[in-house]
Amino acid sequence: MNTDQLISMLASQAGAAPRAVVARRLGPALALGGLLSVLLVLSTLGAYSGSLLGTPAVWMKLAYAGALAAAAVALTARLARPVARLAIPLRALVGVLAVMAALGAGAWAAAPVESREALLMGRTWSSCPWIVLGVSLPTLAALLWALRGLAPTRPALAGAAAGLSAGAVGALAYALHCPELSPTFVAVWYSAGIAMAGGLGAVLGPRLLRW
Amino acid sequence: MHSDDFESRLAPLWRSAQSGDEAAYRAALALMATRLRSWLRRRMSSWPDELEDLVQETLLALHLQRGTHDAAVPVSAWMFAIARHKLIDLWRRRGRHAELHTSLDDLDEDQLPGRDDSAAPARRDLLLLLESLPTAQRDAIVLTKVEGLSVAEAAERTGASISALKVQVHRGLKKLADLIRSDAA
Repeated sequence: MNTDQLISMLASQAGAAPRAVVARRLGPALALGGLLSVLLVLSTLGAYSGSLLGTPAVWMKLAYAGALAAAAVALTARLARPVARLAIPLRALVGVLAVMAALGAGAWAAAPVESREALLMGRTWSSCPWIVLGVSLPTLAALLWALRGLAPTRPALAGAAAGLSAGAVGALAYALHCPELSPTFVAVWYSAGIAMAGGLGAVLGPRLLRW
Repeated sequence: MHSDDFESRLAPLWRSAQSGDEAAYRAALALMATRLRSWLRRRMSSWPDELEDLVQETLLALHLQRGTHDAAVPVSAWMFAIARHKLIDLWRRRGRHAELHTSLDDLDEDQLPGRDDSAAPARRDLLLLLESLPTAQRDAIVLTKVEGLSVAEAAERTGASISALKVQVHRGLKKLADLIRSDAA
């Protein structure tokens, strides 16, 4: 087939361009991945006791992970298109991280010196980032699959954004179980798990995001 | 062609094409093909044989991904980003396959083709070549190129979407061309 014939074939009855293609692929992937991440936490770790739900610390974790997920998903959606415009979602992402860092540093600075270590390390610092990473994997797989059907032309960056989104969703799910209450702990160890998911996405992106 | 000139000619066509104007879409794709050919030619002088293949690959990607064009971005920038992606993909595939080529001098004589010529004409038989394609590609080609149906009629017959059928025809014809080329070599 020569190129003119190809053009004729492509144009014939092509109709209007499909609308909202990014939302229609990323949306279901995020919903499915998020559901699997939550089920993974509830089935393997279990939910924390009901009394914790009333504590501000839990809402702080949910708000941090939720806001980070929103910013990272917005970034992923931009990177799903060629010529991505990144300024706004990047600023939102940095803003969320900065607020959480300030909260963590503030709590640490306000605490008496002898209780600072407990505030930072909690009881679960060595497992928290790994659980966040593990729980994020279903969402990461779903988002990478969704991106393959779109047009990311910067695969490492798109993979990293998908990884950060998945990490934040994983953190959101893990917050349903996590017994830690300190903002310093969350700012450091949750963020570490989310960053690992982002790094994994950045490594997988160039390998998997072929289209 | 100056790039701003290209954008200013392409943009109005593209806008109409995106909202469903078929003639505008045809004209936009033709304009893009010409620009892509000259853009790619300068970047792939090592594989002149593959230039037109890559032009077509890129056009197909532009078609399949037309929904990802953000109206706030110049359409030429969007097109070149996709062309660059396709070019890098080709480099990567070539880089990986280059080392798989074996020199003829390294082969024993009985490993060389052409000793038993009786099979050769039969293998060039189009229908036999078609048999080696995946079913969906074969059906798409037989319906549109042998039976002469339009893409829409063929899509209706196979139950595939029009867009999927176009891809099957393109991929199938490309694979056939590769088969014939490797057969002749």
